[in-house]
Amino acid sequence: MLNLPRWQTIAIIVFTALAGLFALPNVLPESIDNVLPKWYAQNRINLGLDLRGGAHFLLEADLRGVMNERLTNVSDSVRAELRKNQVAFKEVSVEPNGHVLVILRDEAQRAKAVEAVRAVDPTLAIAGTGPTIDLTYSEQDLFRKKKEVIDQSIEILRRRVDETGTIEPTIVREGDDRILLQVPGIKDTTDLKRKINQTAKLTFHLVNEDVAARGQALPATLPPTTSLVPTREGMQALRAANPKAFEEIQSANPRLTPEQICRRFQVPCLPVFKRVIVGGEDLDDAKATFESQQNGGRPIISFTFNAAGGRSFCAATRQNIGKRLAIQLDNEIISAPVVQSAICGGSGIITGQFTTQQTQEQALLLRSGALPATLTIIEERTVGADLGADAIHSGTVAAVVGTLLVMVFMFVTYGPLFGGFANLAMSVNMLLVLAGMSILGASLTLPGIAGLVLTVGMSVDSNVLIYERVREEKAAGRSALGALTAGYERALTAVIDSNLTALIAGVLLFGFGSGPIRGFATSLSLGLLTHLFTATIFTRMLLATWMRWRRPTELVL
Amino acid sequence: MLWKPLHLVPANTKFDFMGKRKLALGLSTLVNVLSLVGLAVFGLNFGIDFQGGIAIQVRAKEGVIHLDSLRATTGALGLGEVSLQSFGDDRTALIRVQRQEGNNACVAHADAVMKHRAGEGWSVKPGAEGAGDVVFTAPGQLDSAGWRDAVSRVGLTVLERELPRANTNVAKIDMTPDQRAEWCQQVAIKVIDDAIGSKYDIRSTESVGPKIGAELMHSGIIAVLATMGAIVVYMWFRFEWQFGVGALIAMLHDVISTIGVFVLFRLDFSLTALAAVLTIAGYSINDTVVVFDRVRENLRRYKKMNLVELLNFSINETLSRTLMTSVTVFVAVAALVVFGGPVLYSFSIAMLWGVIVGTYSSIWIACAGLVFMKLRPEQLRHEEEGAKAKA
Repeated sequence: MLNLPRWQTIAIIVFTALAGLFALPNVLPESIDNVLPKWYAQNRINLGLDLRGGAHFLLEADLRGVMNERLTNVSDSVRAELRKNQVAFKEVSVEPNGHVLVILRDEAQRAKAVEAVRAVDPTLAIAGTGPTIDLTYSEQDLFRKKKEVIDQSIEILRRRVDETGTIEPTIVREGDDRILLQVPGIKDTTDLKRKINQTAKLTFHLVNEDVAARGQALPATLPPTTSLVPTREGMQALRAANPKAFEEIQSANPRLTPEQICRRFQVPCLPVFKRVIVGGEDLDDAKATFESQQNGGRPIISFTFNAAGGRSFCAATRQNIGKRLAIQLDNEIISAPVVQSAICGGSGIITGQFTTQQTQEQALLLRSGALPATLTIIEERTVGADLGADAIHSGTVAAVVGTLLVMVFMFVTYGPLFGGFANLAMSVNMLLVLAGMSILGASLTLPGIAGLVLTVGMSVDSNVLIYERVREEKAAGRSALGALTAGYERALTAVIDSNLTALIAGVLLFGFGSGPIRGFATSLSLGLLTHLFTATIFTRMLLATWMRWRRPTELVL
Repeated sequence: MLWKPLHLVPANTKFDFMGKRKLALGLSTLVNVLSLVGLAVFGLNFGIDFQGGIAIQVRAKEGVIHLDSLRATTGALGLGEVSLQSFGDDRTALIRVQRQEGNNACVAHADAVMKHRAGEGWSVKPGAEGAGDVVFTAPGQLDSAGWRDAVSRVGLTVLERELPRANTNVAKIDMTPDQRAEWCQQVAIKVIDDAIGSKYDIRSTESVGPKIGAELMHSGIIAVLATMGAIVVYMWFRFEWQFGVGALIAMLHDVISTIGVFVLFRLDFSLTALAAVLTIAGYSINDTVVVFDRVRENLRRYKKMNLVELLNFSINETLSRTLMTSVTVFVAVAALVVFGGPVLYSFSIAMLWGVIVGTYSSIWIACAGLVFMKLRPEQLRHEEEGAKAKA
């Protein structure tokens, strides 16, 4: 029987009403919007970039560089640890295939060496035989690390691009090593690109004054705790004197370490301890400001540490009065002021030959934190706002006309009553899709509108299937009630099968697709999913309620 | 009653669909082979998503667009291959430019743009050979803020610390060859803007690197295969294996002939077009399921009936359903074709074709497949009895 328990009817009506409530903020005027609670009013469908205009970037993260840096760090630590444990080794080298090779002088010390390696990083996979120890990170570990790098980059990009929280950029991961950045409403991308380009990695190191006291520009031997880092002035001098060399440094792959740059290009450098006293991650805030007038009134950057950073900074400055503290930004030493007294207030300043604009930019980059990987722009698109308006217009017209045509068709073919049921079910389906997209905060793009129009066409399909089956059953001589019941029940398998198969395609589209395909797949899949509800339960409720109410003896279908 | 039931398809049709199955199969095979040959010989008209390069949408400030003069102007700019197509209405055109290389010609373009935008006193020259450097010379002394404004006129973005600090009239901007190549795309856009900007507004610009296209194609092909695989497995699970194979053949037929439509009409094959192909793969099955559902029902009911006869009977029974469901989607998609605008055009055309061919293939190809795979009613019955015996 086509009966439906009362509680189910009520549940369906409540569900539909809720959907209406969630879809409502999309059409409310702003004046009402402002009165409503924010969590509710914000539930609305975002317009995609192609509809509202703006800039679109696809960025590629240099994960290889990150992994290389990590392996270099590991090899440094392993070297130090082996020395500490008095294990003699021929060499510790980073191989291009992502392995670190340790070659021991004495095979007998292998067990001790392995222990030392474990102490460095217990997650390292250890292989090799005899005097050779082969170290590498597991696939899972690499995967996790890569994901971490991308996630972190996204977070930092968000802070840099949308510091005020008003721009609403879309920043999502694409594939393995890419990030999609969409910023609505901007036309000039110059400023934006500047914010993307710099990594802004800030660290504080003590200068190794013992080495510096030797007075050599490039000391031949260095203690293992110390490395050479070029000064900013030095790099700028190199750029002026030998542009080709500078080019070589910029495009070297894998990237050169600061010490390699010092030695290969004879750049003025400072010997600094490798140990990081405080890093940019411990910064709470950074601001562009000016020195006091007595000191010259130059533009400077002032910063505050968080509690942990403040403590380490305090301890380090107290113990090293009279020594220099190097401020290193992106592999260059900006300045290395002498520590005059313990700095325990949790704040400090960075001086250098900055312009006002430079201090403002640097401060923003420092506030937002360092990008863990260099990002390169591999795709760039801009859409003018008026083009977006045109797209909205044509999309709306197509959607409205398509929906009206389908409705008229259903009315003409199945009459005001059954056609009306079908159109009501279709309208509820649209309502559910819009509610779903609002709740998910999905973006509506032009292909997304195409998906909606397609959903309109497909969501009356199930009513067609049911009605045609009812017609068959009626022709076979069943009563009104019998034909309707049998028609509904027998059409149901075809309805479900055809929806599920289309849904499979929709979900796979979403999984494999990118960019415009996603928008289309979202609205189509959502439409098919909600359609499973309207086609089965909602239509059934309509038919059952109508039959109970009118008790028809003859079907006009 | 004002309204009388309208039967667009008569209730009791008796078409001999299966009698024409050899003709239909032959015709379809021919269409599919032609599609594949066309694909191999002419290839698809790949859009910028797949091919990389620059796409600029322009609109005439006044009056209609003159494609010929626009083509002549943009073609003479020395940007390599430039193609034009009208886009939507008679005021709008899409200019496609091949991807620019970061060579000295590009720097010469930047020089021209700089002279045009900032004055004749400016010059832009390539730096050291083999590197990506560019040297700017200004007519007078500039500070770093001045430099920043200046270089942004040719679409160049540099970090503040890479600009000269002291006032100077020469600035060397350091770039890697890759960075310069990326910049050269923006230079090309500025070149076009300078050449046609007095008469046309630039509405949108796109620059896509060469690497992405191959990846998109790869994931697109995987998506199509995965969709087909998943649907066939579903059909196999819900019906007999022969139904799964029949559905697969129909689906392949629809997808290949859709690609044939793209080849024949030189439609722009973009990401949205790929979405259309995948949707067609999903939609193709829609009608097939309706027919197969009835075939299965009738196989159980009329155990003695000959297969061809039974298929004919089932198709005729469901003909009205098959056609009507297609009509509703057809109507909706037709609205997209007419009103959806140029961006959705190739998508909508493909979908329209997909709806038509999907209906056709459900009737002829999918069911004819069942005949050729020798699906027998007895077979089904045996399996059912076996299942009952087990239960």
